[in-house]
Amino acid sequence: MSVFRLLASRILLSALTLLLVSILIFLILEALPGDVATRILGREATAKALEVLRSQLHLDQPAFGRYSQWLGDFLRGDLGVSIATGRPIADVLGPRIVNTLLLSLFAFAIYLVLALVPAVIQAVNRGKPIDNVISVITLLLLSLPDFLLATMLLFLFAVAVPILPALATISENSTWQEMLRAMVLPAVTLAIMMAVYAIRVLRDSLIEVLRSDYVRLAELKGLRPRAVLFRHALPNAIVPALNVTALNLGFLIGGVVIVERVFSYPGFGTLLIDALQLRDIPLIKATVMISAAVYVAANLVADVLAVLLQPRLRTSR
Amino acid sequence: MKKLIEVSNLNIAYGSAAGWTNVVQGVSFEIARGEAFGLVGESGCGKSTVAYRLLGYGTINSLVQTGEVLFDGTDLLKLDAAALTRLRGERIALVPQNPTTSLSPGMRVGAQIREMIATHKALPEGMTMERHIVELFALVGLPDVGHRYPHELSGGQQQRVTIAMAVACNPDLLVLDEPTTGLDVTTQRQIVQLLAGLRARIGMAMLYVTHDLALLAQIADRVGVMYAGQLVEVAPCEKLLSAPAHPYSRGLIASIPTMDGAAQPGRGLRGVLRRDQMSTGCKFEPRCDFATAACRTTPQALEPVAEARAVACMRWREAVAPHFPVPVKREEEKAAEAPARLLSVTDLALSYARPGPFDRLLGRTSPAVVRDIDLDLRAGEVLALVGESGSGKSTIARAISGRLPPRAGIISLHGAALAPALKDRSVEELRQIQYIFQNPDASLNPRRRIRSILARAIDHFGIAVDEKALETVLDNVGLHADYLDRFPDQLSGGERQRIAIARALLVNPKLLICDEILSALDVSVQARIVELLRSLKEKHAVAMLFISHDLAVVQEFANRVAVLYRGELMQLADTATLLSEPLHPYTEMLLEAAPGLRKDHYVSRPPSAPNSKAAPGVGCPLAGRCPRQIGSLCAETRPPVQETDNGFIRCHLTTGDLASGASPANRSDHSRQSRSVS
Amino acid sequence: MTLVTSTPSRRFSTDRWRATPGPFKVGVVILAAHALFAVIGALWAPYGFAEMGAGLPLSGISWGHPMGLDQIGRDVFSRFMHGAHIVLLLSFAGTMLGMVAGTTLGLLSGYVGGWFDAVTQRVVEAMISIPFLALALVMIIAAGPALAGTPVLIVFVVGLVYAPRITRIARAAAMEIATREYVAVAELRGEGTWSIVFREILPNAANVLLVEFSLRLSYAPILIGALGFLGFGIRPPTPEWGLMISENRNLLIASPVTVFGPGLGLASLVIGFNLFTDGLSRMLGQRPVAGA
Repeated sequence: MSVFRLLASRILLSALTLLLVSILIFLILEALPGDVATRILGREATAKALEVLRSQLHLDQPAFGRYSQWLGDFLRGDLGVSIATGRPIADVLGPRIVNTLLLSLFAFAIYLVLALVPAVIQAVNRGKPIDNVISVITLLLLSLPDFLLATMLLFLFAVAVPILPALATISENSTWQEMLRAMVLPAVTLAIMMAVYAIRVLRDSLIEVLRSDYVRLAELKGLRPRAVLFRHALPNAIVPALNVTALNLGFLIGGVVIVERVFSYPGFGTLLIDALQLRDIPLIKATVMISAAVYVAANLVADVLAVLLQPRLRTSR
Repeated sequence: MKKLIEVSNLNIAYGSAAGWTNVVQGVSFEIARGEAFGLVGESGCGKSTVAYRLLGYGTINSLVQTGEVLFDGTDLLKLDAAALTRLRGERIALVPQNPTTSLSPGMRVGAQIREMIATHKALPEGMTMERHIVELFALVGLPDVGHRYPHELSGGQQQRVTIAMAVACNPDLLVLDEPTTGLDVTTQRQIVQLLAGLRARIGMAMLYVTHDLALLAQIADRVGVMYAGQLVEVAPCEKLLSAPAHPYSRGLIASIPTMDGAAQPGRGLRGVLRRDQMSTGCKFEPRCDFATAACRTTPQALEPVAEARAVACMRWREAVAPHFPVPVKREEEKAAEAPARLLSVTDLALSYARPGPFDRLLGRTSPAVVRDIDLDLRAGEVLALVGESGSGKSTIARAISGRLPPRAGIISLHGAALAPALKDRSVEELRQIQYIFQNPDASLNPRRRIRSILARAIDHFGIAVDEKALETVLDNVGLHADYLDRFPDQLSGGERQRIAIARALLVNPKLLICDEILSALDVSVQARIVELLRSLKEKHAVAMLFISHDLAVVQEFANRVAVLYRGELMQLADTATLLSEPLHPYTEMLLEAAPGLRKDHYVSRPPSAPNSKAAPGVGCPLAGRCPRQIGSLCAETRPPVQETDNGFIRCHLTTGDLASGASPANRSDHSRQSRSVS
Repeated sequence: MTLVTSTPSRRFSTDRWRATPGPFKVGVVILAAHALFAVIGALWAPYGFAEMGAGLPLSGISWGHPMGLDQIGRDVFSRFMHGAHIVLLLSFAGTMLGMVAGTTLGLLSGYVGGWFDAVTQRVVEAMISIPFLALALVMIIAAGPALAGTPVLIVFVVGLVYAPRITRIARAAAMEIATREYVAVAELRGEGTWSIVFREILPNAANVLLVEFSLRLSYAPILIGALGFLGFGIRPPTPEWGLMISENRNLLIASPVTVFGPGLGLASLVIGFNLFTDGLSRMLGQRPVAGA
């Protein structure tokens, strides 16, 4: 199968997945038995308030009609109107997504270094003290709940040794130095959270590759160790880590919610929490759909990268 | 001749949680410039460990305790990493065991060779890199495949690439680690032929590590036989094969199945190499037929016994002394009344995947991998199905067992057609056909004890048995009743295969399908399973469909042989007829490629019409590869099926034509020993 | 990436305990301590979990209040002790639920294949595509105010978030085991689907599933804590550790120990689980599949 056919079929599958996601979200939020309006407003709500909400959400229409209407609007780029604020969701979401994107890119850059360097050090020195020390550190970091890690970093670098701002509040008129300083703590938290998983996977896969026949042949060809590591071992070892990175994007998006919350960063995650607390169903649907789309897209990219790194996959899949 | 490599008193131990185990003990040998030295032994004897030390390489958990490996006067074991790096590839090169896993998967093969030359700055003056690489490819008989990735090449081509890489810097020594294991027999012979040719042209020395003595006979000058980490015999190749001195060498050679059943210099090996059951004296003592009490306590070392010959056995003279070998009695087939027909297969065609709903919509059909199969099997008869890997032999077995519903054709048992799908067959039909799988490691559920594995079969078919049934059946396959309470992973491969046979026999089947059941086992274990099958055949009168790539094993107890090539039956004949008058060009190719225990200067006969392409289902599948191809007729028209005395042949040439030009010159002049056809 | 090994587990004995890897032992000791606290915590605690006025609010650490006092004067150590069993029980119950559902679905789907597998896989894929924290939160919202904050809902949510991920692991294991010849032998005997799944496949997938269970279990406290931290978990004044961290976060400057006390409890529980998983996977020759 050619690369293009592979790509086409993967894109098709991703689209199908997203369609199913939209059905799932709709089913969970609006089609569960019981009155949606009551669930949103609580049992103490007045009849009038319930009535208003019902008409706002078109609850008088049948479920399927509401779903197809929503999906059609969504595909056309009309994300609907937030119940809580009355503003178009697209306007609310836009700047938040940009903020989160900036934060994620910063976090991702740190993540690359944090994941690659320790894993390579471990694999090259496997069984030696440095390997064990890094293993213990990653295990400890892996065990820290993300909200606790964020809180600890905040305590250390903003309270105990106040070198960084505790609150990552940014606005349109903050300079880029201010923004960068504000984003350090949340970005580092996110990077550590993702890296601890990747380090373990990359270390294991690198060790496996270093034991492989082709690395041994490369060594016995008389190649210098550096060439063996970077030309033969790493490109093949990185594929499983790539998959884990994409899979862990689910963690990253969850982590964004928590980290943004801890540092009060005005991004996508805090918006989701606000929407949930206000039970703003149109906004919840939009944010969850977008996060699922990001996840699916990232996995698609990881798949394509894996195929590019491993020509073998081009024919065997 | 000046010595290129001198290994002396090499001792290597492997460390594990349980402590250190000696895997190589007191090994000494030397290789002269330009000499080919073979190292042979069963799996786990330490031969590869020794070989890799010649490249200064050892795994992390291995430790060289004593000894030195002198290469051109420098001790490789004392060199630092940088000096070794300079030596490796440039002066000592490796041809690895498994080319598929040894070539870097994400790199074009040309780049991998270029990297080798560039690292050692070994580009001949006045030549561009590209030209040099193309010349290297030509040297190993490949077109310019430099832009391909390893997975785009066949196993044989991949091995040629690793050979081209190994000789790229004109090394003084080539270390070959089982370089042909896992290749088809015809490819094996071509690789060995290539290596012999390269040696003649370049003049490098070789260390050839293998478990296959027959192949070694074709290329090695001298051979060292290893057992349990020690060299037990070193001798010139011809001498070793014709007159082995050490009891182990004798057993090893005797275990190789022979084509003509000629008298062997000794008996096959019993038992298996067990590192935990080693005596303090001779390592081979537990398995040796000549052992005395002294052998158990006296360690044996290599002693020179003749010109260029050394043996590590104090009783070798007794062992060589003529004794009366117990000739394996071949019971002549009683030409009694022809038994009833048990299984018949008519016009069978198979393809792997059944068309899915998607494919059916688009009118896509997957190509048939097996076509026009007609077979029948009488009660109590053994029919062998022989072919190279990928020829479709196991696929046919799957269809008969019901695991692969055929695309066309009828399979009937006792004259009644069997349902194509497994789920439509009756319990009784399922019971009558039992299947034994190739891989004994995977055919027993590792989570259940042997008792439960065997009892499940009885319970399921509701067979009434006495309480001793399990013990009896174990006894039948030569195992003790204690085995009932063990888990499969506590058994050796051969023992597990015996359990699988016991499980099949327990339900009194009419037909046993043996799917390559020997190929995962060591040579000496194979010989004993064959012995068991032969006795079971006589005792239980069960018919067998014996699938194998190994013509030599097959001839030991099959009544008839069917030869399969790319999904089509080429020939069906009585075993004796097939071996004495193969007739069909493909059968001839198989027989010729099987190496004898003597240097036979095998040269593969070139195809007579190499440019014609065999299209599946159109012409003869052998077209383009057949040395006796008539012309385009073969590629374009289906060859006719010609009845012979006791079978048939599918070929365009008439049987008369085939017979007149057939017999290869060297067929009858020496005892032919053979191995693997695939 | 999952390796299915075929080493049958042997009976447990003191000798085998000595042979277990170090991380496993440390993990078991930590988990045993947590189990002990879970049982005796409520009896040991000097004050009630909702008892106000145990001392001066925010008065810091003292012998009487080793973890200080919170904003409304509750003894944090007493709350910590009372809460010891909550996360532990919720994690176990939730993971168990996900495990049973995921294993059954995954093994069947991997062995049976065909349409059933295709449909299951697409639904599983869709559920995994929704970031799990978002999925959990959406489900809590959808359950409505009546159920919000009840333990049953949390267990259900954890189970539902885990089930598709476990399904995927179980399916991969089943698909690999289904190619083994002993499964073919059972098929050739004419055994039924359920018999093959439970007699031949499940016992051989046990190692993979055990490690998966342990891995999921280690993450469950973090998930439950995160829900509590965001205010969507067990409802106050229940002393759930994540909720306590969230409540006392305002005191980070005044009395950090009120945050790090419960934090230490949560982290040590997860460390215990992680060490246990690491050791277990090493003993069973499995590599845990990290992440989602």
